[in-house]
Amino acid sequence: MKKGNNITGKYQHFLKAQKIDYLTTKAYQILLLMVFVVIWEVLTKVGIVDPFFFSSPSRICITFVDLVKNGNLLQHMLITLYETFLGFIIATVLGTLIAILLWWSKKTRDVLDPYIVVLNSLPKIALGPLIIIWVGAGMSSIITMCVLISIVITTLSMLSSFLSCDEDKILLMKSFGAKKYQILTKLIIPYSIPDFMSVLKINVGMSWVGIVMGEYLVSKAGLGYLIVYGSQIFKLDIVLTSTVVLCVLACIMYGIVSLIERKFKR
Amino acid sequence: MDKYLELKGVHFNYFTRKSEFNAINNLSFCVDRGEFISIVGPSGCGKTTILSLIAGLYEPTSGEILLEGKKINNIDIGYMFQKDQLFEWRTIYKNITLGLELKDRSCINKERDRIDCLLKKYGIFDFKNKYPRELSGGMRQRVALIRTLAVKPKILLLDEPFSALDYQTRLDLCDDVKRIITEQEQTAILVTHDISEAVSLSDRVIVLTKRPAEIKQDIKLDFTTDLTPFERRKDVNFSNYFNYIWRTLNEER
Repeated sequence: MKKGNNITGKYQHFLKAQKIDYLTTKAYQILLLMVFVVIWEVLTKVGIVDPFFFSSPSRICITFVDLVKNGNLLQHMLITLYETFLGFIIATVLGTLIAILLWWSKKTRDVLDPYIVVLNSLPKIALGPLIIIWVGAGMSSIITMCVLISIVITTLSMLSSFLSCDEDKILLMKSFGAKKYQILTKLIIPYSIPDFMSVLKINVGMSWVGIVMGEYLVSKAGLGYLIVYGSQIFKLDIVLTSTVVLCVLACIMYGIVSLIERKFKR
Repeated sequence: MDKYLELKGVHFNYFTRKSEFNAINNLSFCVDRGEFISIVGPSGCGKTTILSLIAGLYEPTSGEILLEGKKINNIDIGYMFQKDQLFEWRTIYKNITLGLELKDRSCINKERDRIDCLLKKYGIFDFKNKYPRELSGGMRQRVALIRTLAVKPKILLLDEPFSALDYQTRLDLCDDVKRIITEQEQTAILVTHDISEAVSLSDRVIVLTKRPAEIKQDIKLDFTTDLTPFERRKDVNFSNYFNYIWRTLNEER
């Protein structure tokens, strides 16, 4: 447990206070959600808010069960998950590889710099119609959209992480006669792992944005499709149910990445 | 007479987009094998540049730098920096064997006994499986020194290796570093702005002028042998040398 083996009463008191502090925070968090759900439900039941426009927690539950039974909700979920996962992996791997290339060659970095800046500030959604025409209306368009949205930020974050490595560490490697690829594999990459983890976290959010956006533009299935479909037939229950499912899925994915990050933190 | 390290008329010019300026002007000095010399000078006079030149990171604009009569190569040198630059993701042992690993993986096994011997001798063996963040600042610098010595460099360059430490640790570490370097018969060049550090550690002090750096004085320190840096600080000669170097540094040329 602790180094000092005579644990004083004050220390135990301190530990207890810490624990209570943690538990109350958690309790308030759950309470907040519950209050929100209850108020939502009550307001729609009493008739202050029209459930036709705002749905309600109970209606969302009913719609959820109904969609699972009759509307292939699981299939929509799986399709969106699959697209998101694929988009996330492609964007992260490709983005990191480009960052490595740019770190390797200063000339390439300098030449491409203005283009990367432009690509970064360009709202990628503007390319939507073009992507559909070039890549074809289908899943590949959606994944392309997702990759475009997260790849530039991945490259930029990883490159700045690579370049932030202390010059003296590189000098040290050189004084040991290290070759450039050794500097990359033994210094730069391990040095950037913590930053890579935060990039993963950002990319989880980004890929969901990319996929849902892609599904808005072109899709026959998926949660994004369900949202657009729901709004078109004015069934806001479907829209809100899909949004809640989306929320839950994104949280789970974020949780998984956080777990991986904790593994790497020593 | 064979000289170990020799700088012959070294000039170095820095180029920037706007101008070219002379950083080092006609620098010539020799270092004998096993000698410990210090270079002191006003801040910004190009002390670190001299180390970079010796390390072969920059080419001198003119003049040459020879080690045992041959042009210096960057694998002949060991570097110790202001910060320890240990790799946080490697254990202490893995940090120490980094240099060997880069040269040739197989020699880690060959040199295992020698490395273990170094670790035991200098009190690091017990921590060898810990990570750098678990060690104190002074201990980390010791590890950094052993890491450099593990590859048996022909010359050791110390770039203000004590300046990031608190005073107490600095005095302790000075004693240890000096002892280790003497025992390992290393040739060392220390760059510092701390005159007392230079006087307590070295056999010779080279005082530089303001930029462009030239040699102002080359002072051989004559202490009773076998004094530790800490004991030197209490020696009568210490304050004489200190004052002399202080005056030399401050007088107009």
